[in-house]
Amino acid sequence: MAMDVIDYEIFGDDIQFVELELDPGEAAVGEAGAMMMMQDGIEMDTVFGDGSAQSAQSGLLGKLMGAGKRLLTGESLFTTIFHNEGTSKRRVAFAAPYPGKIIAISLPDIGGTMICQKDSFLCAARGVSLGIAFNRKIGTGLFGGEGFIMQKLEGDGMVFVHAGGTLAIRDLAPGETLRIDTGCVVGFQPSVDFDIQYVGKLKSALFSGEGLFFATLRGPGRVWVQSLPLSRLANRIIKAAPVAGGRSVGEGSLLGGLGGLLDGDND
Amino acid sequence: MEASYPAQIFGPGLPATGRTGSLRLFPAGVEAILPDDSRRVAATLTELRLREVGFGQPGLELAWTAADGEWLIHVLDPASSAALRAQWPAAAVPGLQALQAHERRQRSRRRLGWSALALIALSPLLLVGLFWLQADRLAAWLAEQVPIAEETRLGRTTFAAMRGELSLIDEGPTYAALATLGQRLTAGSRYTYEFHVVADPTLNAFALPGGVVVVNTGLIAATSSAEELAGVLAHEVQHVELRHGTQTLIKGLGWQAVWMFATGDFSNTLAGQAALQLGRLKFSRDAERAADKQGFEALVRAGINPAGMPRFFATLARQDGTGAAPFLSTHPSSQDRQAALESMLAGLNGRPFSALALAPWPPTASHADQLQQ
Repeated sequence: MAMDVIDYEIFGDDIQFVELELDPGEAAVGEAGAMMMMQDGIEMDTVFGDGSAQSAQSGLLGKLMGAGKRLLTGESLFTTIFHNEGTSKRRVAFAAPYPGKIIAISLPDIGGTMICQKDSFLCAARGVSLGIAFNRKIGTGLFGGEGFIMQKLEGDGMVFVHAGGTLAIRDLAPGETLRIDTGCVVGFQPSVDFDIQYVGKLKSALFSGEGLFFATLRGPGRVWVQSLPLSRLANRIIKAAPVAGGRSVGEGSLLGGLGGLLDGDND
Repeated sequence: MEASYPAQIFGPGLPATGRTGSLRLFPAGVEAILPDDSRRVAATLTELRLREVGFGQPGLELAWTAADGEWLIHVLDPASSAALRAQWPAAAVPGLQALQAHERRQRSRRRLGWSALALIALSPLLLVGLFWLQADRLAAWLAEQVPIAEETRLGRTTFAAMRGELSLIDEGPTYAALATLGQRLTAGSRYTYEFHVVADPTLNAFALPGGVVVVNTGLIAATSSAEELAGVLAHEVQHVELRHGTQTLIKGLGWQAVWMFATGDFSNTLAGQAALQLGRLKFSRDAERAADKQGFEALVRAGINPAGMPRFFATLARQDGTGAAPFLSTHPSSQDRQAALESMLAGLNGRPFSALALAPWPPTASHADQLQQ
């Protein structure tokens, strides 16, 4: 199946957007609500399923199954496809939903498949199929919750994934393991073994402020890690928001400054 | 011709993300082919270490140690990895049997895990089901644990709350007759009874836990003898004696608790609902039948002719369907009950009973006017 080869450019430093250049007839698939702007000549189309040729070929039952999976994971049933109906190159831009980095990943370079966290997908060339993958290790479903249902990006085009905060890429050697806060996992190659592990010590589970579980990733393969999961950012914002019981201190006030000194910036 | 499978190859000199190539299978070994530099690496079957890999789908890892280092081949596509397994005779690959055993263990563990998850998810439903089956027995047992003083207090408090809406006629010949009959029927009871007449033309009577029995004037007017009223009283008294009110209340509260647990809606308070429920108690058909039976026996014990009981049901049956008797709406069909009572009556083999010294019925003419309202 022919993939659309997309030229792209990423703008901004920490609150980024990516601009895709589509040749006539080329198309991109975007996450609902991620579109920022598009030029004349680009048409928007909403299709049932993930917009890949694979889902177009499958029968009604296959479509329903796909829809069921998407419903189960809380994704929208429809995917928006942006295709260039003009006669020259046109651009469409997708913006990151919160501060972080946009990662451009060429799927053929990593074996054609990437597993990523549900909400980190931003956009992709048409032909990349957006699937759902359930971790086969039941423990992750029982204890972790997070990391049990992931998104599977498959194909041989470019995908754009968003990581919150600063991005770390780790290449794991065979057998090498890395323990990651479950929320900080952006994605990994399918060759990486993903498991959820209990922190191990009751005391640290209760008082360390970390979650009860780690994601343990075992090589070989590449792992993408984000420094700031949205939930962590949201927690801090809620804590600081006056309506939610946080303190509202004037930035310039003496007390405010003192309060800040004493307060520290502990999470 | 040997089959070829798509594979991700990790090894010395290759990028950490591996390289996409293919795997070929020979009777004695495997060969990995890297597409761009057309390098080939091979291993014999006995060298191979196998492991299950892959997120969300069963893939296969083939690993071996070569002279230049460690090689790993991942066949992640489920169809390919299944085909690969199928083509290997288990005996030829030492690792395969261990892998299969491991996978069997994994599968049973997964099944156990899913069952546990399902059990947890379904536990509210199971609880509801269990409660549904055992509610009566459970409520009966719990009602037995309630002290009589507590039941009495409950009944009296409820009656005090209802009192404002009822116009009581607790004097005169009708009341005296009712009280006399009641005393005779409840002699030796562990409860202290109080009887009340309410000026209400509807054909109704009810009992509250702890011994409050209330009869409407409409019901008294419909009776044609003291024995018939005694039958109704005996029935109501047995609701108290058998603790039907308390049981129904407990069942109702239990259902609320179960409902709250099942739905996670804890917004209603238990206590607030309790008083509400007592006011409009409805007993189950089984409870009604039990009250009929025990009531009949109580009449016989008290030396009152129980024939009045089925006779009154005959009167009720005639009124059935007119909607005039709320007493009926909550009760099993009058005909059924009448039939059951008549067969009990036949069982007495025409035992003689002295007529109640309350004739003529209704008690006095002056009250008859009031009763006709």
